[in-house]
Amino acid sequence: MSNEFLALGIIFIFVFVTTIVGMLPGMKEKLNLEGWAIGGRGFGRWLSWFILAGEIYTAFAFLGASGWAYARGGPTFYILGYGALAYVVGYYVLPKISPIGKKFGLMTQPDLVQHIYDSKPLGILTAVIGVLFLLPYLQLQLTGLGIIIQTCSYGLITKVPAMLIAFTLVAIFVYLSGLKGVATTAIIKDVVMIIAVVFFGLYLPFHFYGNLGNMFDALDAAKPGFLALPGGTKVLDVSWVMSTLVLTSLGFYMWPHFSANSFSAKSPEVLRHNAVFLPLYQICLLFPMLIGFTALLILPGLSNPDMSFMVMVQKVFPGWALGLVGGAGALACMIPASDLILNTSMIFTRNIYCRGFNPDADHPHQKFVARIIVFIVTATALCLAIFAPNLLVNLLLIGYSGVTQFFPMIVLGLFWKRSTKIASFCGLIVGEILVVYLTLNKLDPVAILGLHLNAGFVALMVNLIIFIVISIFTSNNDDLIAKEKRLNAL
Amino acid sequence: MKALKFVLTLIPFVWTIAMIPFVNTVKPIVLGLPFLAFWLVAGIFVAFVCLSIIYKIDTNNSNG
Repeated sequence: MSNEFLALGIIFIFVFVTTIVGMLPGMKEKLNLEGWAIGGRGFGRWLSWFILAGEIYTAFAFLGASGWAYARGGPTFYILGYGALAYVVGYYVLPKISPIGKKFGLMTQPDLVQHIYDSKPLGILTAVIGVLFLLPYLQLQLTGLGIIIQTCSYGLITKVPAMLIAFTLVAIFVYLSGLKGVATTAIIKDVVMIIAVVFFGLYLPFHFYGNLGNMFDALDAAKPGFLALPGGTKVLDVSWVMSTLVLTSLGFYMWPHFSANSFSAKSPEVLRHNAVFLPLYQICLLFPMLIGFTALLILPGLSNPDMSFMVMVQKVFPGWALGLVGGAGALACMIPASDLILNTSMIFTRNIYCRGFNPDADHPHQKFVARIIVFIVTATALCLAIFAPNLLVNLLLIGYSGVTQFFPMIVLGLFWKRSTKIASFCGLIVGEILVVYLTLNKLDPVAILGLHLNAGFVALMVNLIIFIVISIFTSNNDDLIAKEKRLNAL
Repeated sequence: MKALKFVLTLIPFVWTIAMIPFVNTVKPIVLGLPFLAFWLVAGIFVAFVCLSIIYKIDTNNSNG
């Protein structure tokens, strides 16, 4: 059989089997809204670990990390840094969120914000911003899938029809199975992914250079300084990496889907235990980078750096091996995408549609609307992926800058008694305006006093100062007591 | 205990963020990795060890 049909056939089998496995939990029992959206709050250690870890190995880790290594060099290593730090933050934040969610029936991040500050408008604002920044992240997964299918078909299928087919499948999958299906299939995805990246990440440099050290020596000789900061760039220097690490480690758990994922845990203990072991999983992010670095010497001049992983495998291995990688990569795009779609549709339904337009909607009606929104959200992201393509890492960083602006409102809201809703409004709005302004005017990174700071970091600092100052001036005793009551779930 | 937990929480951040200006070199290559990459990979283990100890302290507290 020819290479392209073999490769595509293997990808199809991967996607098909996973879809069946993912649908099983949804078909066995009749899911209510809570069961569909947050797994009935019953996830133990393992399912919870996989749903949290599943969000790490996305299209970005798989294709974006190798693409960045290929194009930028040293600055790529920031990816190794932020994960471990994010879990230290998560260790404190997630176990605090989960019992409040259980006691007060919260399902989404805007639910949580509305609850902390007892403010419906603030919840709606959070929902709108959350949906806006989830879309580029979802788009990233779609673009990744397009790249994979395009390469595996050896050019036979173009990106757009490939994305259309696969994402119809994803939408049906989310519609039927909900979070339980996502968690179950995340297990399959993670195992396949780890095997694929570790194997190819070690095989390729060893195949061409004998060992890792030789590969990096050769790269350093060919391109001096490429492997340190600022690498192949002018502005992604030490100050950029430091500010980006602060931004991404604080912002990691501000992604709206992580609130929902922590509501799905059986107990705070589960989340604490997971946080301890999640950092180790970050090591897997190193392997795609090794492939990107190897590709730079072997295949110079790729037009799209994000394709370096796939093209490398295509060049060295026969079609069936490319199919296995493509299958693993397709899952790495689809499973996180399912989680994102699920959460975007829940936020839209509960926090925008119900709170804003139809406050009397009961749970069955909410579930009905949420399932319809699944298809609308998927279609929107698909349109973005087709008409506004962007390098994967740019999509990720825009999303990060946006959602990290929730940090003062949510984390200080939970841990600092004096935080107020007026301060949240002001900090959040100013932060988001700054992010949008700096990004749209191509001022990211921002040059201040000879430093190159991540735009999201600058916005976060301004946001934080505004938040703290206004909180101090607007907090009063009655509010403090009321807020204390809302947060003491245990 | 509280002070110890605070220090353990701080260590990964100091290791991974504050040390960047001092570890930004390619050579020496350690365990096959450029020094900067090696340092950040080591940071992952540092975070794991620190969180493990914090977790131990927390569970001991809740049992006793």
